[in-house]
Amino acid sequence: MQTSRKAVSGTTIALVVVIVIVIAGFGAYVAFYTPGPTTVTSVSTSVSTSVATSVATSVSTSVATSVSTATSVSTSVSTSVSTSVTTATSTYLAAATINGAGGTLVFPLMSSWIFGFTQVQPNIEVNYSPVGSGAGIAQITAGTVNFGESDAPLKTSQYAALPNGSTLLTIPVSASGVVPAYNIPGISSTTHLNFTGNVLAGIFLGDITAWNAPAIAALNPGATLPSNPIVVVHRSDGSGTMYAFTQYLSDSNATWRTKVGFSTSVDWPTGIGCKGNAGVAGCIANTQYSIGPLEIAYQIQNPGAINYGAVQNHAGHFVLANLTNINLAVQAGASSGLPAGNAQWSSFSIINNIFNDSMDTQVYPVTTFTYALVYQSLSASYAGTSNAQAVGLVNFLWWVVNSGQNAGKNIGYPSLPANVVTLDDTTLNSITYNGTPILGS
Amino acid sequence: MAERFKLETGLTTARKVRPRRFGGDQILKGLVGAAAIFVVLLLIALGVELTEGASLSLTTFGPGFLIGTTWDPVHEIFGALPYIYGTLLTSALALLIGLPIGLGVAIFLTEKVRGSKLFGYALGTLVELLAAVPSVIYGLWGLFFLSPVLKTYVETPLHAYLGFVPLFASVPFGLDFFTAGIILAIMIIPTVSAVSRDILNAVPNSQREAMYSLGATHWEVIRRSVLPYARSGIFGATILGLGRAVGETMAVTFVIGNTPRITASLFSGGYTLSAVIANEFAEASYPLYVSALIEIGLILFGLALIINLFARLLIWRMTRTTRFRV
Repeated sequence: MQTSRKAVSGTTIALVVVIVIVIAGFGAYVAFYTPGPTTVTSVSTSVSTSVATSVATSVSTSVATSVSTATSVSTSVSTSVSTSVTTATSTYLAAATINGAGGTLVFPLMSSWIFGFTQVQPNIEVNYSPVGSGAGIAQITAGTVNFGESDAPLKTSQYAALPNGSTLLTIPVSASGVVPAYNIPGISSTTHLNFTGNVLAGIFLGDITAWNAPAIAALNPGATLPSNPIVVVHRSDGSGTMYAFTQYLSDSNATWRTKVGFSTSVDWPTGIGCKGNAGVAGCIANTQYSIGPLEIAYQIQNPGAINYGAVQNHAGHFVLANLTNINLAVQAGASSGLPAGNAQWSSFSIINNIFNDSMDTQVYPVTTFTYALVYQSLSASYAGTSNAQAVGLVNFLWWVVNSGQNAGKNIGYPSLPANVVTLDDTTLNSITYNGTPILGS
Repeated sequence: MAERFKLETGLTTARKVRPRRFGGDQILKGLVGAAAIFVVLLLIALGVELTEGASLSLTTFGPGFLIGTTWDPVHEIFGALPYIYGTLLTSALALLIGLPIGLGVAIFLTEKVRGSKLFGYALGTLVELLAAVPSVIYGLWGLFFLSPVLKTYVETPLHAYLGFVPLFASVPFGLDFFTAGIILAIMIIPTVSAVSRDILNAVPNSQREAMYSLGATHWEVIRRSVLPYARSGIFGATILGLGRAVGETMAVTFVIGNTPRITASLFSGGYTLSAVIANEFAEASYPLYVSALIEIGLILFGLALIINLFARLLIWRMTRTTRFRV
């Protein structure tokens, strides 16, 4: 039989060989190229400058490693490096990879922390997955990550679900505030509407339906409110921001407390759900006469994008959220009643603590901590944690609590007050690996 | 006779050929059979895993889960009816809009541009490119472009003039069943049109020629002889499109408003089975919550199976009784 197959032409073979060589070369480049030190001449005026000045660092850092850790959405994480002369050389810890998972609220800050920490300890690689506070708690319970991160402390039932005999430490690492953002065409961006907790609860329950309702008009005598119906926007996915907001509404309004309650995911009586903080911001921007709870960090990073209103605190003041009054709220709410790191934090809440505080006139009432979650006794039997990983983890958290608190200023996160830092230091000192405390002191 | 054949060709018709004990045929049959069994096993394993994960919720809520309308993670009450309703409604809407358009494209390509191969090929490729767009892109495009456009030019006038009709009764905000249905329709057009095109091309020319000889116009030929002949195939294409619409997650969750609601109005926000899993699974913080979400996945799985089985049954019945069987 005659075969009708042609012989493979030489050109085809040559092309295939060339393509294979190119792909192999590229793969080898990616896998093996270790960049040498290069001087980064561009300096940007954002977060990293404050981080760099707060840590001793050598003159240059390779661009590649900084890019690999700063893989965040936030535009404020830059690759700038301070060109200051090294003032102290610290001994580097052994190489380790640390994995964490948790809420999206703290993600931009976490990215800048990881970047800053890598300047101090280049051998430690920290990975953070912003999968949501609930997922963070689930993963630390299951032992699939080294540390969890959550905007809501564990509930009693979640403490009960932890592995037998283990102690999970709760470490506040930062704080945030939730603002009522709205989109009303007639109201200018310089006018900030006033809200009380009761009025917000009424809006989100669906009882207050129009913008010119008497309840809202009474709080805003100077503004001309339109008669359009209010469109409520909330998060469709579970979120620490919603946890804080619904907790505030539960405190303010008895109907909300019994009908809806507070949690990272609730059964919203009305409104449309949008995914993520950016989704809520987008929905509010695209929908006229809408209102929704938004994290303050988003506002600060995108000034002027969305208007937001002032919320009344118990002293009767209408407070427009900014870093100062959120800081004051954290200081007031955490001044007493903080549980020990190894205790249960289920009933601790800044919002509850300052809700009835009529003395502080400038506190912002919808403020919440965000927590790192770590087990007290680390060992190889727990998720195969090595000594290097445990040491790296504890040093990372120590750095975050003590040196990294300035990193959040430009992107809208307040720093921890001194008493919380002291508490966290005590908690971190108690973490052991195979029985021996990691931090010598 | 046998001997003559043996001399001339070396073969005999009378000799029985024994199959080789272990040849390529056996290996091929074995491998292919194994692949088929593997797929069936995979399906069964999927069902078993889903049922296992949903067992806590199944025992807690029982059949009430299917008709419950509350989804409250705080008070631990879960019910799936709003999601089932949302999935069915958006899929029905997608079919209602996408099927005529997809079928129209297929008819146009097979009947009207038969002569011009290049134009037909180009148009067909462009339509199929719609299927290559990732669904997340559809979601983003829908959220930022289509939803405001629909709200301003379609939904608001419809609500203003026909607001008394229950279908258009809610105040429109752009993120609702209507927009989700349109996005899904766009996504199933390439599926429906590609499969229908193949079906219509397979209709023998004798059918058309017969109608022409009776004096039918082009449209009558299509309507009376081509389409009825291809009926079962087109039905299959519909089911394929429906299968995609039922399972679509990301494109829907961006534009549907994510509120569990059962209402006749198309301009109200809604929720589908796949969207709630995508949105809430990461944050499901206690076992009953996770189990309820897995049960939603089980319902979705069952829904897809039922739709396909029902379609197969209908196709079987149609091909059994149709007058156009070859």
